[in-house]
Amino acid sequence: MLAVDIQAPDLLSDEARIRERLASYLQAQTKRPWTLGKFTRYAVGFSWITYGFDAREDGGAEQGLILRLGPPYGLFAPYSALPQHASLKLLEGSTVPAPRSYWWSDDASILGAPFFISERVAGSAPVPWMSATATGFEESYRKNIGAQFVSAIAGLHTAEWRGQEGFVDNGITVDNAAIRQIEEWEANRQRWALKPYPMLTWAFRWLRRNLPVAPRVSLVHGDYRLGNFLEQNGRITAILDWELVHLGDPHEDLGWAFLPQYSGGSGLVCRLLSKEDFIAQYEREAGFKVQPASLHFYLVFSLVKLALTHIAAVRCFEEGRFNDMRMPAMGTQIAPVLRQISKLLPVEGA
Amino acid sequence: MNNSIKRMIDGMVATLRHEVIPHIGTEFARGQAFGVIYMLNSLALRANWSPEFVGEQIAAQLALRDALAPLLVDTDAPALPQAADAGSGVKTLEATRDANDERICALITWYGAATLDAARAAAIETQLRACMDRQLKWELQTSAKPMFAEMSAGSE
Repeated sequence: MLAVDIQAPDLLSDEARIRERLASYLQAQTKRPWTLGKFTRYAVGFSWITYGFDAREDGGAEQGLILRLGPPYGLFAPYSALPQHASLKLLEGSTVPAPRSYWWSDDASILGAPFFISERVAGSAPVPWMSATATGFEESYRKNIGAQFVSAIAGLHTAEWRGQEGFVDNGITVDNAAIRQIEEWEANRQRWALKPYPMLTWAFRWLRRNLPVAPRVSLVHGDYRLGNFLEQNGRITAILDWELVHLGDPHEDLGWAFLPQYSGGSGLVCRLLSKEDFIAQYEREAGFKVQPASLHFYLVFSLVKLALTHIAAVRCFEEGRFNDMRMPAMGTQIAPVLRQISKLLPVEGA
Repeated sequence: MNNSIKRMIDGMVATLRHEVIPHIGTEFARGQAFGVIYMLNSLALRANWSPEFVGEQIAAQLALRDALAPLLVDTDAPALPQAADAGSGVKTLEATRDANDERICALITWYGAATLDAARAAAIETQLRACMDRQLKWELQTSAKPMFAEMSAGSE
């Protein structure tokens, strides 16, 4: 097990140090001095560290920027910033609302970890979790945001990534998209699990026996859900958290968005739309029919990914990488997720 | 629970000390928070996960062992779960539970590759699923109501 000193200072949390190094980096990139304002660390995510700050290039206007750093102790480390940067560059000027990414590097000697710098987009993030006293979204709001939510994912799945800078298919095809993901997440299970989970073994067995063929190889967000977009005045201003972006079957994003964990008990997809309305609009805009068997496969796979993400949180906390109490809390959700998997998988011999 | 009780308490203490106490506005409230740290550190010296919780998980594994034994006659199935020694402490019980879960995983892998007649395969699958569901239901029954909305919003 990795030994981490939980009392040791985290250099990536040393805002003064990061600010000084970042100013030097920006000056080297632009050949002009930069003045950086106070850093605000956002308490989001368990993986990439996110800072917001105001910045002014010598002679230019002040602008809001976001710095994201992939720490070596993060959930999915080791990281590369390239997939996120390349995806955001690809989407510039498209119908998919996404922040513009300006600079990136995987050279840890610059800031201490892979990083990219993007624009800071205005808006707030509605979350999937609801307290007992909270009410759902007002109907016209949810339908309006829901329609934009579907359009954005359909736009992502139809974006032409081939031939674009930063994209290499690595031999991925419609036939092997599913097994590539299964193998990747089985490897994650080997890395992360501190103890065996029989239902996970059962689920992987089922997934390997029910692999679908993808309708196309698309850019897949990997964490497309309520909580990962910004909204302002009834408009989605940015889709966020691209750290799991990859090439694959577009059904994968639908399976993730359809998880009951993001419905807030509403029975709706991400508290926004009915499954039927979501699929009908998506099919119109993405240009292919959603296959129920593929959707079911990716719903099960999404629960497996969710369980493994919780298992990773348990490991990170146990090793002392974080003292964030959200992590052991995530660990308590492993059993409910595995129970959901069980309910989705019929006893075949019965 | 998936984290060790020692690490959970260490994390709670560190969170109170570094994330909570610096933001508490009154001397009395800060004193109360240090009282919580003191009591948590006291608990850490004596607490373990409940043997009843682990014991029920092992009971589910042993029920599977008893149900599968006659179904696996004349097969090359891997080893079945085994009981912990009488009078074992909770640490030994946890190790036994995890070793048994490893054996169940091996059984699932074997089952996926074995050539079995349909009736026997169905009966084995039914027993494996029953054991896993019994363990998961028990874990849900012994879990607190989630507070993710409160953790996200920072208020009740």
